[in-house]
Amino acid sequence: MPWEEDPGDLYEHAPCGYLTTLPDGTIVRVNETFLAWTGYERSELVGRKRFRDLLSPGDKIYHETHYAPLLSMQGDVHEVAFDVVCADRRRLPTLVNSVLGRDPAGHPRAIRTMVFDATERRGYEKELLKARRTAEASELRVRALQQVVAELSAAPSAAEVAGAVVRAPAAAFDAAFCNVWLVDPDRDQLTAVASTDPDGPARDDIPCSSSRPIAEVARRGDLHVVPTIAAAEERFPELADTMRRTGIRSAVLLPLTTGFAGETIGAEVLGVLSFGFTEERELDEPELSVVRLLGHQAGQALDRARLYDDAGRREARAMFLAETTRALEEPYRLMPRARNLVERLVPAIAEWAAVRLQIGPAGLLADAGGPAPDQVRLAERVAIVVANGKAEFTDVGADPDCAVLPLTAGGKVLGTLALRMAPGRRTAAAEAAFLSDLADRAGLALENARLYEQERAIARTLQRSLLAGDLPSDPRFAVETHYQAAAQDLEVGGDWFDAFLITQDKLAVVVGDVVGRGIDAATTMGQLRSAIRALASAEAGPARLLERLDRFVDRVESARMATVAYAEVDLTTNEMTYACAGHLPPLLTEPGGSPRYLLDARSGAIGSRAGSTARIEHRVPLSPGSRLLLYTDGLIERRTRPIDKGFEVLARTYAGRRDSPLPGLTKGLAQTLVGGDHPDDVCLLCLSLGTEERLERSIGADPVQIALLRKDLRGWLVSHDVDDDSTQAVLLACSEAVANAIEHGYRNDPFGIVDVTATISAAAIEVEVTDRGNWKGPTGEVSRGRGLRLIRQVMDQVNFDRRDGTTVTMRRTRREAR
Amino acid sequence: MTDQQWVTFAKMGSADLVRLAGEIDLANAPEIGREIVRHTGRSGAVLIDLTAVSFLDSAGVRLLDALVGDLDQAGTPIRLVVGETGAARMTLKLCAFRDDLLATDLERAADELGG
Repeated sequence: MPWEEDPGDLYEHAPCGYLTTLPDGTIVRVNETFLAWTGYERSELVGRKRFRDLLSPGDKIYHETHYAPLLSMQGDVHEVAFDVVCADRRRLPTLVNSVLGRDPAGHPRAIRTMVFDATERRGYEKELLKARRTAEASELRVRALQQVVAELSAAPSAAEVAGAVVRAPAAAFDAAFCNVWLVDPDRDQLTAVASTDPDGPARDDIPCSSSRPIAEVARRGDLHVVPTIAAAEERFPELADTMRRTGIRSAVLLPLTTGFAGETIGAEVLGVLSFGFTEERELDEPELSVVRLLGHQAGQALDRARLYDDAGRREARAMFLAETTRALEEPYRLMPRARNLVERLVPAIAEWAAVRLQIGPAGLLADAGGPAPDQVRLAERVAIVVANGKAEFTDVGADPDCAVLPLTAGGKVLGTLALRMAPGRRTAAAEAAFLSDLADRAGLALENARLYEQERAIARTLQRSLLAGDLPSDPRFAVETHYQAAAQDLEVGGDWFDAFLITQDKLAVVVGDVVGRGIDAATTMGQLRSAIRALASAEAGPARLLERLDRFVDRVESARMATVAYAEVDLTTNEMTYACAGHLPPLLTEPGGSPRYLLDARSGAIGSRAGSTARIEHRVPLSPGSRLLLYTDGLIERRTRPIDKGFEVLARTYAGRRDSPLPGLTKGLAQTLVGGDHPDDVCLLCLSLGTEERLERSIGADPVQIALLRKDLRGWLVSHDVDDDSTQAVLLACSEAVANAIEHGYRNDPFGIVDVTATISAAAIEVEVTDRGNWKGPTGEVSRGRGLRLIRQVMDQVNFDRRDGTTVTMRRTRREAR
Repeated sequence: MTDQQWVTFAKMGSADLVRLAGEIDLANAPEIGREIVRHTGRSGAVLIDLTAVSFLDSAGVRLLDALVGDLDQAGTPIRLVVGETGAARMTLKLCAFRDDLLATDLERAADELGG
């Protein structure tokens, strides 16, 4: 039969090796197959070698510790893997089965061993093992990547994204020296933001156009793997230096890009991740794909963070603009608005900010924060911006981040806003839209404040000029007035006073109040004041005057509903006729009596349609020494108390000051009744009939004031029928004494006060001049000496008292009495 | 208040005429002095008209005294024209100004200086 086989040939050429050994392992028989596999000669083995002698060193140990004991105990072993060392030292992977044969007495007789070639199988096993290791490594990387992706998705800001990304290469690849750079589009540079270096990221901003590898990767947007220092030397010598310095042998530069993996067109590079290995390392394709994936994941997270940042910033900006616009509306006046603006900007937006306004000869400036930039350079740039009306967001000079924006309104440049953005913020150029919007709004708000300021100034000037007119003076009466503007920054009111002589012997006094505020009210007040002067006549009287005013407001509508208290005094008979058109009642004190309100002769406001315009007047005889007070409602009206209470307080205060000299009386009343912090204008006029027996004045240490004092003193002397020579003499002596007090007593104290008191009797005039200054040194100075000599020449008695300051008492006997 | 003209200048014949008005005292005398010096530095003759002065104190006297001293030294003739009565005359008399300096009539004083 063709399949009949010769047993001998079957043994020799079986598809496996056969060995027969003695129990001690000495080979006694071996087949041809084994010899062919191992390359030994039969004679080399039989009787000369033990089976274990053919094994690799490790397998010899295994043979002793496992194979031999197992065989002797069980009588057989199966599929033991041994590497047989061939004649040419090659190792042949095998699997071995052995059976221990025993003699009938049970003693070991021989071992039969079958040897299978396991080369293929061992290769396969190795493959398996390797595959498993690869899978494990890949799983580690995937886990690291998953961890990073989880962290990235939770990172709301670019800085946090960078922080998560920088940890990934170490976790996934056991990499070292990882750094993250982010592209800063505003500054066109790459900024190191995160590093595994314990010292933190390098303070080393790289311009995007730089030839450095980080910039190159950012520009090209593809992954750069530098396997060796030598490779780095070729392309990026600088990188080679860094690698040497930091002990890196292989480096990877990974762009962090938007878009999806594999997409390169339209993908934007937002940053670069660099990392290295301390030994030379080739990254295989699966590893590279993980690296690329990391780049995309990080890029998307950065993109998200950027959008999130943008949205947040836009929201914050919109809120800031809205709040600032609102806040700027609050103070009416210009400087407080400008201050408000810079204080809102610093530190929220800028580290330094300054508003300059081209108003007034020197301009106005409000600034906050610091450090301020170089003033010379800033002034140049401000001039350019004012001239062009165009913002400059950066500068080529030493302070590139300092921006200057025009503040415009109605096409006119009002001034500039200069600022340097807070550190760590986006540049002014990047915030151009926001800053321009802010400057536009600020420009409008400041222009409005400027207009307000201008109108206010005009109204005040107008009002002052109208009120400043000369009041009549006459020995038979004296008029004292006071006008006090509202303390708060409100517009001027339409309050006014006036006193004028209608005829030689007929005096008119008036206090009124026009409806409204501001320049219109001031103008109307002026018109009404002039109208009253023009309409008053010797024959008409108060009631007729008010009727004419009623007709007047038909033409001057803004004067309608003005209120007026008007009185005419016949200086020959001391009879007063008065009328009140909607105005508060005059307050009268007569010598020896209590103050009383004059409540007759009341009718409605001027031009009133609802109020009574049947104009009536009332006559009151006045005794000499009477005082009549006219005032506007600011003096007594308070939101916190009923008006009748106000009347009561005024009457009481007025009564308390009945003995006070007329000068300063109205001012004192206003101060006592309304104080410094009053929300409304206050206007008072006090008419005193008959004259003061005693003249008292306090003047500041200013030569200009001496002329005013002389004016009062002259009027007072005239009213007491003092002759001309004596009047001249007293004026000269008093002037010299006051000049002395100012020039010597208060030579170091411009705020000193000189008190002057003059009294008169039938026999003499006496003047006392007192200062509290420090009169040092000689009176012998020629010029002053001349002054003192003049005093002694024109006065009959002169006495100096220098105990506490200086009091000069001077007396001149009246010539008519001499 | 300050727009009042205390001092004005004119020519009268060959003389420079300085007209003073209002109240001359410590407050305005130095300024007036400077004005006069500025206008009369090279005058051949100076006439100071004080008839409209309603008050004159020692500071005003000091001013006039210094002015007269300077002009005398330069050999420039000067006259102070004051009213028959009034504040200026009173003060100057009290300070014993030389009679040859004082005149009461402007035209005559101008003639004297011119002659």
